[in-house]
Amino acid sequence: MSLNSIIQIGMSGVSAYQVATEVTGENIANVNTPGYSRQRVVLETAPQSSSNGFSLGTGVTVTGVQRYYDGLLQQQMATAQTTLGYDTTKSNVLQQIEPTFNEVSTNGLGAAISTFFGSWQDLSLNPTGTAERQAVLTSAQTLVDNFHAVSTALSDTVTAQNTSLVATTDSINATLKSIAQLNGQIKTTQMASGNANELKDQRDQLVQDLSKQIGITSTENSDGTTDIKFADGGAALVTGQQAGAFSLDQTNPNKYVVQLTAAGSAGPATTVTPTQGVLGATLALRDTIIPGYQSQVDLLATTIASKVNTLQASGADLTGAAGIALFAPATTSAATIAINPAITGTSQIAAAASGSAANSGDNSNALAMAALQNDTTTMAGSTFSGSYNTLVSKVGLDVQSIKNTVSRDEAFSSQLSTLRESNSGVSLDEELTNLVTYQRSYQASSKIITTATAMMDTVLGLIS
Amino acid sequence: MRITSNMTANNAIYNLQQNLASLSKLQELSTTQQNINTPSDNPASAGVLLDIADKLKATDQYNSNITKASTFMQVTSTALTGLSDFMTQAKSLMDSISSGTSDATQRQTVSNQLATLKKQIVDMANTQSADGQYIFGGTTGTTPPFSNSSNAYAGDSTQINIEVAQNSTQAMNITGDRILKGTGSNPSYGSTDILQTFDNLIAAVNANDVTAMKQGSTDLDAGAQQITNAQIDLASRMTRLDSMTKMNTSNKTTLQNMASNIQEVDLATVGVQLSQQQTAYSAALSATAKISQMSLLNYLS
Repeated sequence: MSLNSIIQIGMSGVSAYQVATEVTGENIANVNTPGYSRQRVVLETAPQSSSNGFSLGTGVTVTGVQRYYDGLLQQQMATAQTTLGYDTTKSNVLQQIEPTFNEVSTNGLGAAISTFFGSWQDLSLNPTGTAERQAVLTSAQTLVDNFHAVSTALSDTVTAQNTSLVATTDSINATLKSIAQLNGQIKTTQMASGNANELKDQRDQLVQDLSKQIGITSTENSDGTTDIKFADGGAALVTGQQAGAFSLDQTNPNKYVVQLTAAGSAGPATTVTPTQGVLGATLALRDTIIPGYQSQVDLLATTIASKVNTLQASGADLTGAAGIALFAPATTSAATIAINPAITGTSQIAAAASGSAANSGDNSNALAMAALQNDTTTMAGSTFSGSYNTLVSKVGLDVQSIKNTVSRDEAFSSQLSTLRESNSGVSLDEELTNLVTYQRSYQASSKIITTATAMMDTVLGLIS
Repeated sequence: MRITSNMTANNAIYNLQQNLASLSKLQELSTTQQNINTPSDNPASAGVLLDIADKLKATDQYNSNITKASTFMQVTSTALTGLSDFMTQAKSLMDSISSGTSDATQRQTVSNQLATLKKQIVDMANTQSADGQYIFGGTTGTTPPFSNSSNAYAGDSTQINIEVAQNSTQAMNITGDRILKGTGSNPSYGSTDILQTFDNLIAAVNANDVTAMKQGSTDLDAGAQQITNAQIDLASRMTRLDSMTKMNTSNKTTLQNMASNIQEVDLATVGVQLSQQQTAYSAALSATAKISQMSLLNYLS
């Protein structure tokens, strides 16, 4: 044991506390970095030596820099992100659709249906009146316009969902590629026994981002890399440094088909059906939810058209001839419903009973037409207006329940984030306290060196 | 649990957001004064509101139907009163000469007056409504139902029904054959052909045929009763329309009350909630401001 070893011990303290201060600095600098996990130095006593007859350590040594990390929590957060991504997308799109059905504060399709049948009531009081006949034609046109407006709003939303698939799959592919690259860097760094904490934090953050878009399961390997599998079907998305890729079959421009080339697979892309995350919600909206509303509106349009056309045919118009169809005969949906082009004048409205003479004041057909408003035989036990009101309520209910689900998801996510923050987040007060502690320790270690130097001086003074 | 400054900050943001969301919801309620602004605010009540709105529109439509039908019936009633007056005049004319002792000049005057009265009856029976419809012509609205040249009825006996409440109709017109020709059934007012009675009377007066004149007078009485029957029928229909209007109006009031119970905001409640929420929000803001300023940095020199 020599004076030199005292200097060595002081030296080990100085350098250890320098590293500790560096780590504290890194923590403080990254206090607001998303996904950053706080780190700490692991200090151990340096190997012992017994050169002076008894065993004594040779100072302090930094054995590693660890990050505070909870793998299980990360997986839970990923699952929560997937649910949140699905529900948020659905909620946003449904809230965009809701104003189309907002009959509560504006007049829309429901009012147009009432007005149309009301105009037949007016006609029944003056069956030969030109003004009343014109009112029937005008309200029929308004009804057609309203059907078109609702139908266009719905089909535009479907198109928007389809187009958004391009951006969504592109962003997923970019994320998959980044994760694979980070896996490679982590592996290389760890092999050189380096510290890959920051790279791992970055990768974990990307996994979180990815889980918002699609449902995934991830497993961490012993070499530090993470493998990711697709939750819908189990295909490999990332294996080590290889990334899979999503692609779109655009054969049908209105309905892209999502395909997947699994990681490490050379073969052709296979069709997949994502059901989770943003991608799953986009597909569900495009294929099920919005077409569901659309088919209800279509049914309403076709039923009204066919009922009115049948009654027109069973009555007589102002010239005494049998009435012709009021709505275009080939009406199959709310998008294509139109006034029959053959209707060119008000005299073609069939207000009188079949077989009536020209200019008849008979109103029985107009009455029958007006009575359609209360007809409950065709729309599953409700009237036309009632059936539309039910649809409005259903849209309202869907929006309300998804809004509630989203706020629940957000609360859950925020709770998980709090848990993660509690474990891995940087506390400035803690870091500042550590900073003071490490500074004092650094000063003390320096003092040991100056003391040893003074002792050395004393010894050298003896010699001279 | 370990607490970090970021946790405090995130929680503060989340909770302030929740506070502000409730505040903005209350503000929406107090400015629109409506509980339901979009269907998702309360889907079930929104459905009820829409149903009520549809029923209100239908009620308005029925009331408009009744108003128009009432106008038509007023015109009919005036015409019937005129017809009834003419019958009374004819009856008193006949009373003046029925003894058979009148001279030829007197009989000629009476005969001329009877012919004029018949023309007036025909004119009155060809009364048109405001829309230009012949009110006694049934559905053949554009051709006059009666003429001076022939006693035949050119109209039809169709009753024009209108809807006065859901699935409830009311005949609006009285056809000329029932009142002047004594034909038609359901309703039938009598079986006297009034126009023919006038022709018979004129012939009897000209021939001074006392028996025929007596018979004609009897027929005139029966004819007057026929018109009175029609007036009674019309009056009862108008009474029904009146009571339907009252029923529709009372239904409308009930429906409007139901709608406003659902839709109208209780301002007192919202006002109290709003001020509570404002207090809570400002308390949250001031607490956040105080806590987020605290740091060990303030004490380290």
